[in-house]
Amino acid sequence: MATDLRISNISKIYPGCVANDNVSLQFKSGKIYALLGENGAGKSTLVKILSGVISPDNGEVFLNEKNLKLSSPLDAKKNKIGMVFQHFNLFETLSVFENLSIDATEDNKGLRVRINEILKKYNFSIDLDVPVLNLSAGQKQKVEIIRCLLRSPKVLIMDEPTSVLTEQETEELFISLKKFCDEGILIIYITHKLKEVLSLCDEVAVMRKGKVVSVSQTQNEKVETLANKMVGQKLAKIKKKINISKNKDEIFKVKHLNFYSDDPFETNLVNLNFSVKKGECLGIAGISGNGQNELFQILSGEIITPDTSIIFRNKEISKLNPKQRREYLMAFSPEDRISQAAVPELKIYENVALNNFKSSNFFEKGLVNERKIKEHSKKILSDFSVNTDNVELKSQFLSGGNLQKLILGRELITAPELLICYNPTWGLDVGAINYIHETLIKINDQEKSTILISTDTEELLKLSDRIAVIYKGKLSKIMPSEEVTPEKLGVLMGGGSID
Amino acid sequence: MSLDISFIGILIGSIMASSVPLILAASGELITERSGVLNLGVEGMMIIGAISGFALMVITDNLFIAIVGSMLSGVIISIIFGFLTQSLLTNHVATGLALTIFGIGLSAMLGKNFVGIPGKEFPILFSSLRESIPFFGPILFGHSIVLYFAFALPFLTNYFLKKTKLGLIVRAVGDSPVSASNQGINVILVRYCCILYGGAMCGLAGAYLSLIYTPQWIENMTAGRGWIALALVVFATWSPIKVLIGALIFGGITILQLHMQAIGFRIPVQFLSALPYLMTIIVLVVISRDSRKIKLNTPSSLGRIFYKEK
Repeated sequence: MATDLRISNISKIYPGCVANDNVSLQFKSGKIYALLGENGAGKSTLVKILSGVISPDNGEVFLNEKNLKLSSPLDAKKNKIGMVFQHFNLFETLSVFENLSIDATEDNKGLRVRINEILKKYNFSIDLDVPVLNLSAGQKQKVEIIRCLLRSPKVLIMDEPTSVLTEQETEELFISLKKFCDEGILIIYITHKLKEVLSLCDEVAVMRKGKVVSVSQTQNEKVETLANKMVGQKLAKIKKKINISKNKDEIFKVKHLNFYSDDPFETNLVNLNFSVKKGECLGIAGISGNGQNELFQILSGEIITPDTSIIFRNKEISKLNPKQRREYLMAFSPEDRISQAAVPELKIYENVALNNFKSSNFFEKGLVNERKIKEHSKKILSDFSVNTDNVELKSQFLSGGNLQKLILGRELITAPELLICYNPTWGLDVGAINYIHETLIKINDQEKSTILISTDTEELLKLSDRIAVIYKGKLSKIMPSEEVTPEKLGVLMGGGSID
Repeated sequence: MSLDISFIGILIGSIMASSVPLILAASGELITERSGVLNLGVEGMMIIGAISGFALMVITDNLFIAIVGSMLSGVIISIIFGFLTQSLLTNHVATGLALTIFGIGLSAMLGKNFVGIPGKEFPILFSSLRESIPFFGPILFGHSIVLYFAFALPFLTNYFLKKTKLGLIVRAVGDSPVSASNQGINVILVRYCCILYGGAMCGLAGAYLSLIYTPQWIENMTAGRGWIALALVVFATWSPIKVLIGALIFGGITILQLHMQAIGFRIPVQFLSALPYLMTIIVLVVISRDSRKIKLNTPSSLGRIFYKEK
């Protein structure tokens, strides 16, 4: 039976922000629809409304001309609207089967039979009796999809599904989605990745600042046209010129990096060896959860591992803590801006003061030298074009992009010789990403080095001079970036081997 | 005093009796914590259970009403905690501490007129078997029904959590309230139920003290047992069976060290008094070393305020 989903004049207003402004859209089964927009454009709010997690201030949702009252996730389920959230809604400590059985109406035996049927039909291979925390991101997503399929949905909404997947897993996902579509399930695909829209979807709606700005057939669109619609202005293209020269000094050298952990949430690292030259950007690719967190923490000195040798500017620094490493002119930008890089409840200048050097004189005789810190903070705000000049502002009120600029600014204002960053543009919008990329390129132009640990292959190919892939705690060989293609990276990131 | 076999039987029986309040309170708190709620008011709920059980016994002269009433009083006082933490989103730790302080104060006030009144004898089951079988008699028979219930409870709790749908939902809520809510589970309702259940078990634990174990009302008679129960839950890594083991070790060493003091061992009394705490912690830490298992049993959202998006 054909399905017809219509959203009519939906509005949702949060204090100080219009998340959805009179949004009207229409979807029909047999097609895959893309909902495209930057972060904060209102896509997530819209899908939360569709899945009953939040209720709109205004507007209605019609399924096959029936007005739906979606006041809880249960209502969405009852009306056969399935949803796979960007941040998985799974119970990590429960087994796969327990996760699936929690909202099932049938007995366990019948459920197991049905799950196995679905596994077989779509070629999914998942062990039902292991805890979810042991699964890879791709498998977790499959569990979410199975959960939806068990309820034989009419509508399946996928919220940024590929942000945690490898290229291979993405391809598999696309194949499955096309199958679902052929079986008559209406698919709404939310993303900010333009290429995915073009390769997968039939129709695309672009959202900006809570409004739908365009609806069109994807065959009439190109990456550039969609990007411009999404951002609302033309974007400058960034291209780095690769600078590898053999005779440059190695500024940073890691030998025999091993890490073993009892914690099932952590990844062990096995014998990593690499070095970084002056003025070079070393990219480290990989799907999150393959040891990047641990690697970053070891490089920054949060974790000290025995027997590892880290030479920086001809000094052995492997036993030094992060503060001491900073004194040697290393700088760090962790992945989690809110909980690792900055303290959200502190004011901007207080966050700046966290990164204090002996030479910066932020503290005198145990007292805070507020004037000095504020001056220093103002300089960071203006030098790194943070969208405020109020150093008294609490950091939690900065947007992700501005917070990242502040953090990079704080790290870079001391002119470090080596910057190590982990997913610096994670979750940022196109404009902010452009700025951060320009900044990182500028660092290399000034003959300073960077290590870029990232899960975004496009970013790595754009910024790195050499690239290695980390998979299950092991590092691949390091390749010059002009020899690397996204496909090659995808194979390595999925644990395959090339040549 | 001779250490003959029947004496050991009696000793084990008394150890079991002394661990009952810990088992009850800890099993109740375990369910509460498995749903992600940290209720530090165990001591307060126990003492309220103790006084209301005793007072009801004196007033109605009916032990059944006293026992049920003590559980109800535990439920009522835990409703306060539930309302504050789940509906008004107050901090779990602060609210729980306040509940304990409130419970101790309120019980002292209510109990003023009940000090010095002798308790009533609580019926014991199979008392003839207790006398006739050596060694096993005093261990297995001649206890109150509450003791038998207490010793079944950890196994029932384990079964509930591992095998039943409701137990699965409780674990799911404790693991990730946001996911549970997005799956259509009423997180607040589940947590309320778990809090009330914990309150009922703590009330019963208190009533066991004032009606059965030492049948009388003494101000502050729980004497920190609520805190021990709380610690047991954590050190037993949220596993009901380990709670039982921990409670028995604690009860056992408490009784043994009293005997040692009586015999006059040349070990400082302070050290002997500290021994139950020390040994319980050491044993539970040793049997719960598997970090993997701990991860799987620990309710990840413990003590965090859940706020439903609107």
